[in-house]
Amino acid sequence: MVEIIQNVGYGFQVALQPINLMYCFAGVLIGTLVGVLPGLGPAAAIALLLPTTFKVAPVSATIMLAGIYYGAMYGGSTTSILVNIPGEAASVVTCLDGYQMAKKGRAGAALGIAAFGSFIAGTIAVMALTIVGPFLSNLALAFGPPEYFSLMVVGITVLTYLSSGSMIKSLMMAGVGLILSGVGMDTIAGKYRFTFNIQSLLDGIGVVPVAMGLFGISEVLINLEKDIKRDVLTTKVKNLFPSIRDWAESIWSIIRGSILGFFLGIIPGGGAVIASFASYAIEKKVSKRPEEFGNGAIQGVAGPEAANNSAAGGAFIPLLTLGIPANPVMAILLGALMIHGLQPGPLLMVNAPDLFWGTIVSMYIGNGMLLVLNLPLIPLWVKVLKVPYYLLYPLILLFCLIGSYSLENSISDVVIMLVFGVLGFLMKKFGYDGAPLILALVLGQKLETSLRRALIMSHGGFSIFFTRPISLMFLIVAAILIIIPILTQRKKLSSLPDD
Amino acid sequence: MEKSDRWSALFWLLFSIFIAYESFKMGLGQVNQPGPGFLFFWTSIFIAILSLIVMAKTFGRKSSKDTKEKGKAEGTSNWTKLISVLIALFLYAFFMERLGFIIVTFLLFLFLLGFIERKRWWYALLLSVLVAVLSYLLFETGLKSQLPKGILESLMYKF
Repeated sequence: MVEIIQNVGYGFQVALQPINLMYCFAGVLIGTLVGVLPGLGPAAAIALLLPTTFKVAPVSATIMLAGIYYGAMYGGSTTSILVNIPGEAASVVTCLDGYQMAKKGRAGAALGIAAFGSFIAGTIAVMALTIVGPFLSNLALAFGPPEYFSLMVVGITVLTYLSSGSMIKSLMMAGVGLILSGVGMDTIAGKYRFTFNIQSLLDGIGVVPVAMGLFGISEVLINLEKDIKRDVLTTKVKNLFPSIRDWAESIWSIIRGSILGFFLGIIPGGGAVIASFASYAIEKKVSKRPEEFGNGAIQGVAGPEAANNSAAGGAFIPLLTLGIPANPVMAILLGALMIHGLQPGPLLMVNAPDLFWGTIVSMYIGNGMLLVLNLPLIPLWVKVLKVPYYLLYPLILLFCLIGSYSLENSISDVVIMLVFGVLGFLMKKFGYDGAPLILALVLGQKLETSLRRALIMSHGGFSIFFTRPISLMFLIVAAILIIIPILTQRKKLSSLPDD
Repeated sequence: MEKSDRWSALFWLLFSIFIAYESFKMGLGQVNQPGPGFLFFWTSIFIAILSLIVMAKTFGRKSSKDTKEKGKAEGTSNWTKLISVLIALFLYAFFMERLGFIIVTFLLFLFLLGFIERKRWWYALLLSVLVAVLSYLLFETGLKSQLPKGILESLMYKF
């Protein structure tokens, strides 16, 4: 306990340095903006801004990139409530009741409870992170290659299980991601693989240009294809502070959402989107007046908004303690840390305590900033929403072009991004989810190394994965997730649009 | 499963056969000493099996009318717009280092705003200049990215 307090104190020392405060502020501000703008999610935004952090200390960079992620969770709710268009995927559910509240003249209360709920949830998540983080790190120190391999298998399986659309197709995409991760130099045998004598492929395919293509460019292409129209609610937003009655109605939804979101966030493959859907379902179930849901029930805003924020916090756990990203955003963050010369994993806490604790504590501070920032700036965000799409999309394209070029100052990454933009567009048209591809691409090298090392350890026996208890447990979970859909032919949980 | 899935699955099937062949060439190694192609060979087999399942499903039942399913490649009205933007983007990448960031960005915006979006020409022109110059200042001067200067380079050194 004393140790935790000491560590948190150290984290505050790091996070309160003026330069880090500035980066935290910049992160949450950009994050909110990205959350507000439809068609530009946190994954693309972090990828875009990554090159600008190259010359910054790793701690400051991570603090800013993390801020973008949880900041986007805040911003996304604003557009859901005012325009009925989710700024990013985790706010899809907020549209259901948030927009209805706005239509009844309660936009202020909806925005207010979303902001306060997010703040409470974010804080709960960060507190839990402080306690669970070191515990998991210690546990992970006992992991060998077989455990890591099985953990990554389960991570990818969970993501395909939860992703939108067909699970078979998602598994295929995970396989494609795995193959893409093999492009470039094979670190064990020292051979080039899948490079086909193309200069640009010798260094492998980077996660960041692929993510920008799949999530940034393809999104623009999809939107270009259909002409989008938006009606911004023009009524004045007032009374942002929820009334006592609003609080009484929603406080338990916020707490339930926070806890649920945190645990769904930790699970590799889970995350904010799933958490918000699950929370909405639970709130509707426990409500005494479920018929109000869909007609402006405040619980339907408070619960999911809390859940997506605490899931964003929880998602940092597998990344910081195991080096396993739980979702595409974390996958890009992992790439960012590696570019900065850091290897996320159980040793991160020992090797870079300033980064570990500084980032965690910056999230406490960032949540406070968001609360202060979000409420008075809502009129500004509404104005941002009115920027017409014909101006917005060329700018998104330009940022993607600049971002991918700045990675290595080379055209190769720009071309890779554009190719994946086209691929991503086609994947969306044909119902293939991009998230498993990204996750597998990031994990690929580590997964392959673990597999090969484990097989060398066991002299070629696959039983090593089943005789070690932790590894066996992971594989059982993965097997269950694959078998359930076959047995039940279940309806998709997330058959709603993912953006 | 939609009928269009048959074609997308066929694509992935061919892709996986190609990868399996390439991986096999790289060497699978022994199970106790896996080679560079080991994981990818088995992964591509896995993808091949899955794509066959997807294909089989399209034959198995009549195509459903589930409109929420995104695996539907419905007729597109804006194909020309889409293709033009894509061509513009690839041309941007091709000429970026040759002409320099400011010029290609100006041309891209002029094309997108003036030609694709059909805004008035002076409006498109003004905005394109503004975006090209401001984004250069922001990223090059402010954020210290190293954007290609291209043919404007010699001009810039004079100032």
